[in-house]
Amino acid sequence: MIRYLIRRLPSIVLVLVATSVIAFLLPRLVPGDPAAAVAGPDASPQTIAAIRTQLGLDKPLINQYFHWIGGVFTGDLGQSLQFQRPVSELIGDRLGSTVQLALLAAIFLVIFGIGLGILAGSARSRWARTLVEGTNTGFLAAPPFLVGLLLILLFGVAIRILPTSGEVSVLDNPNFGFQYLLLPALALALPMSAGVARLVQTSMQAIRQEDFVDLAVAKGVPPWRINIRHILRNSLGPAVVAIGIRFGDLLAGAVVIEAIFARNGLGQLAVSGAQSNDYPVMQVLVVGAVFIAVVAQLLTEITLSALDPRVRLG
Amino acid sequence: MTKPVPAPPRAPRRRPRGGAWARYARALRTPRGITATVLLLVLVALALLAPVLWPGGYDEQTRDALAPPSAEHWLGTDEFGRDILTRTIYGLRTDLSLILTAVPVSLVIGTLLGLSGYLSSWFGSLMQRVLDIILGFPGLILGIIIVLVIGPGWTALFFAIVIAGLPGFGRLARGGLLSEQQREYVLAARTLGVNKSTVMVRHILPNVVDPLLVQASIYMVVAIFIEAGLSIVGLGINPPKPSLGAMLNVGARYVETLPSYVLGPGAVLLLLALAFTLLSDALNQAATRR
Amino acid sequence: MTIHSQEAYQPVPDSEDSSVLLDVRGLRTQFDTADGVVRAVNDVTFAVRPGQILGIVGESGSGKSVTARSILRMVRPPGRTTAGEVVYRGQDLLALSEKEMRELRGREIAMVFQDPQSALNPVMTVGDQIAEALIVHGVNKNKARERARELLGQVGIPDVDRRLDDYPHQFSGGMRQRVVIAVALASSPSLLIADEPTTALDVTIQAQILGLLGKLRDELGIAVIMITHDMGVVAEMCDEVVVMYGGRVMEHGPVEVIFEHPELPYTADLLAAMPRIDEHSAGRRLPSIPGAPPDPAHLPTGCPFHPRCRLSESICEQEVPALLPRSDPRHLAACHVTQRGVEIPPLVPAAASAGARRGRDSAPLLEITDLRVDVAADRRGLLRRPEPIYAVDRVSLTVSSGETLGLVGESGCGKSTLARAIVGINHPASGTIRVGDHLVGSKEQAGAKALRETVQYVFQDPYASLNPRRTIRQSLEEALAVRGVPAAERATEAVALLERVGLHERHLDRYPYAFSGGQRQRVGIARALAARPKLLVCDEPVSALDVSIQAQIINLLESLRDEFNLGYLFIAHDLSVVRHLSDRVAVMYLGAFVEYGDAEAVYNSPQHPYTAALLASSPIPDTAERTRERIVLGGDLPSPKNPPSGCRFRTRCPIGPLAHPERTICIEQPPPLAPTSTGQVAACHFAGELARVGAVV
Repeated sequence: MIRYLIRRLPSIVLVLVATSVIAFLLPRLVPGDPAAAVAGPDASPQTIAAIRTQLGLDKPLINQYFHWIGGVFTGDLGQSLQFQRPVSELIGDRLGSTVQLALLAAIFLVIFGIGLGILAGSARSRWARTLVEGTNTGFLAAPPFLVGLLLILLFGVAIRILPTSGEVSVLDNPNFGFQYLLLPALALALPMSAGVARLVQTSMQAIRQEDFVDLAVAKGVPPWRINIRHILRNSLGPAVVAIGIRFGDLLAGAVVIEAIFARNGLGQLAVSGAQSNDYPVMQVLVVGAVFIAVVAQLLTEITLSALDPRVRLG
Repeated sequence: MTKPVPAPPRAPRRRPRGGAWARYARALRTPRGITATVLLLVLVALALLAPVLWPGGYDEQTRDALAPPSAEHWLGTDEFGRDILTRTIYGLRTDLSLILTAVPVSLVIGTLLGLSGYLSSWFGSLMQRVLDIILGFPGLILGIIIVLVIGPGWTALFFAIVIAGLPGFGRLARGGLLSEQQREYVLAARTLGVNKSTVMVRHILPNVVDPLLVQASIYMVVAIFIEAGLSIVGLGINPPKPSLGAMLNVGARYVETLPSYVLGPGAVLLLLALAFTLLSDALNQAATRR
Repeated sequence: MTIHSQEAYQPVPDSEDSSVLLDVRGLRTQFDTADGVVRAVNDVTFAVRPGQILGIVGESGSGKSVTARSILRMVRPPGRTTAGEVVYRGQDLLALSEKEMRELRGREIAMVFQDPQSALNPVMTVGDQIAEALIVHGVNKNKARERARELLGQVGIPDVDRRLDDYPHQFSGGMRQRVVIAVALASSPSLLIADEPTTALDVTIQAQILGLLGKLRDELGIAVIMITHDMGVVAEMCDEVVVMYGGRVMEHGPVEVIFEHPELPYTADLLAAMPRIDEHSAGRRLPSIPGAPPDPAHLPTGCPFHPRCRLSESICEQEVPALLPRSDPRHLAACHVTQRGVEIPPLVPAAASAGARRGRDSAPLLEITDLRVDVAADRRGLLRRPEPIYAVDRVSLTVSSGETLGLVGESGCGKSTLARAIVGINHPASGTIRVGDHLVGSKEQAGAKALRETVQYVFQDPYASLNPRRTIRQSLEEALAVRGVPAAERATEAVALLERVGLHERHLDRYPYAFSGGQRQRVGIARALAARPKLLVCDEPVSALDVSIQAQIINLLESLRDEFNLGYLFIAHDLSVVRHLSDRVAVMYLGAFVEYGDAEAVYNSPQHPYTAALLASSPIPDTAERTRERIVLGGDLPSPKNPPSGCRFRTRCPIGPLAHPERTICIEQPPPLAPTSTGQVAACHFAGELARVGAVV
């Protein structure tokens, strides 16, 4: 496995470097002068120029890039333009919230995705299958924020049992923290799990036609054992890949969910950073997001090779 | 390579009639296909006829702000006193104009990029890496950046949808290319001397088109979400022009006092997404049943 | 890897053992499709006795596989068994509950499937899969594992302890089939149903598996129902045979009786239409049966064979013939005509067409020198080139117009890679391919054009070589357009081509799915001819076709060759077909030729032990041949990534260092292709030793 990771290193580094360059350049393509934005509407040209020098924005691009990269390795992620605080501090404040949301949503994703998929894939009677498929299609068609709004209506307004805005960290107060997390995580996870469930279902249906399932029947293996040891076990591979892909989407979806449920997470930071064209914040968040996507990809490949002995790493 | 065997018919196969169009026509006759088609036709008709049915336009402000649903205003009015129903339909119009143009463009460009590997394999690999990087970018951030560079509005959303769709279509096209390339009838055509571009258009493309069309209808749904998502963070269509996502964004603030503000656009959004999801299902069944 | 004589098999005399193990009576299975009811199994009756091997033989659509599944009640929906009895040891299986049936499956009756590639669960170890067969019937886990170990040894898998925990993809095809057999044997069933168990395997591996099945029958006394389409296998293995056609049993009886004196026109014609490995039939057309096996969805009325039958009369179309005993009471046949006592006249081949074969031209059409093809070249890593894998390693050959060079070898030997390199699909790593005056692989336009005017390719799989979305007309006109035929003339030429291959103008505007395998292959040949080539490379053109159709296509190829004086490079793994068509033969193993020379010389006196083994392993449809000496090669084909040092064949050679340890020269020095006493060249240090054993005269 170590050898596999080492072999993958060059392409990972390549992707990260390319991403850092893009993340660096893109915000600078946006029209507008950040120094002027920071200085305020009434500032004089000298003030603006002074601020530009102070922020280091008058140096050549190449220098700025390497200055930033160097900073990343020493832990200095730059200074936010709009908040005038270190980026690392801003991220640190909000990291916990987003991580908790993403983790719980990921757990839900796995549980609901595979669970619904198994249900649909092994349902015997026609109407049971139609019911599950219908629910699935419903979730597929509903965007996370819509589900979020619906959940707020249902559980926050109509039946007031769960809080619908604000947050409490799970680390501080597990009980309350979880209550605050439940609806947002569900809103995030349910639509995506529909896609995974659909995949598991078609996978199971396809594998049911395979010869080795026939062989198992011919051996006298009972149906439940066939479903689990033979069919499901072979369907997990595509499911893992699907979950891995969606993991990146989780973070994107978190942005909107955080908005709806009034949570103070990284998503909000990203949006406000984008809206005010806060270069340092944007750069770091973009590279961070891609890094997480890459790690998710690696984990997916490793899990896949553990599940399927035919897949050899690398 | 194992020894080939005379293929015994397992269960007798259905004999499909005719070529591609017949297959799609049959797909649309299934329950899902019919539902999807009807839904889509209704929604498109509503959108097209909006200026006729609601001639006042979407910006007619009245003094009656945030009024609950009534006979005059079926869904109530918004914070500027504008009729929510009218704005919903016009919002539908905006959304449809966006996705019905951007998604096909993304499909065509993505397919060309993906298939380019047949004519020049290093270009194809390069394209694959480029598409992978786009894929790795967090979707919403990509959208936000594009919007900021171009300036918020319809054009920016158009480009955001086109670019975000490229990796999906490109990968699918390339995957199809790699498997079709090895087929014997493709090799046969090459052996006969047919040149590469003709082979690509005549033999490879038609067999790759099916999953691409399924993906296109799925992507229609995603495109709706992209528009809505960007609008929710305030980077979508410019006011006062309505879009479903923007209305949801504002309406979320009033969800407890005036739920119809959210329910109206939300329901239309859901119907639109549902229609395309069902369509993609129907097309998928047509594609997989040989 | 043994040489042994099979002792003459003693059939179990009826008087001693009258208990019947499985009695199938009036079985009917149908499929309810949207297009109507498809009767796949129609009134099938036969019986199996303990320790007996019953063969069920038939072509595609005959219903033999569905019959097997019906016995175990494993027919997939929308199929269902609608009538009949399947009495096993006194119990009617069709009347049991699903739970009772499940207890029976695996424990009393077991099944072996056709395709070892897909018959095993890829994510479970082999040991677990064998043990599972016991665990589900109540055996405890440790004992099950012990038994699994024992079984792996019994089916001949070496290094059992290590292999027990390996996954299926780590085994070769032949080994996997042994594992499938081990799974089937786990609970010591009394009846084994083997559905085309060796069809997907190479000839030498097939010989191993058939040998194993025979040994198991002798040692364990299990009864076997062997389903196959290969009459040679039937002759070699079975005691009794059931011939199925169109879902019905058409003939049934002891194997010797049926082979010697069939009472069914279909059986007689089938036996006559097969090219024989032990007959010198080159130069004559093969007798053939016209038409194709019927589609089970559209069976003819009355006797299903009557549209193709030479002896057909009006009653054959009206009434289904009953299965009635003939002179030997154990021999039953269903034919109105022969029931009356009419003898079946021998099937005479159609007269060869007017143009007899012209002599060979002197200049060779195709000349290959020292060719090497690297198949690893395509998988280019990001940073470095992978190790070359030479699927073709220094091959030289020539083909002139009017002559046929047959190329035989088993899967993995490189023959398809070679064929594709000739038409430019694969690129040579070194060596030259000269077609006419041009070198293949040169980039110039003229060279490419000349290449395709000289050489064309007939593909192996008729189901894959035609684009399913284009009509026949479009496929043919495409070929004509490339040749430069003006648009106005293309239609007439397309019709002419179709008619030349035995099809009709009305077929032009239909899609490939509407045609049978044989017809599609004809279209493929027509398409290749459209370019007016002088040399045709035929890559296993008849392997995917039913036996009764193979003769038609072979005859077609022969008449085309004679009429246009074409050269053929004919690639096949079926040695009898190759013998019939070829003037010269090359035998390929692991990328190189091991023997090369005139067909008669090679078949009458094979100089290389591999050739001898191939010839000796090929089943012959003649029961008298059961007692001939066999050469069964052990082991599997080595990987081309890592060929053995010295002689590549030495790891399986019956006369090499494994059998004679003093023959170290085989390990040290690769033998060159050297002339032998009988005229051909062979690459063996001890050429000619097995010539007598392997010879088929």
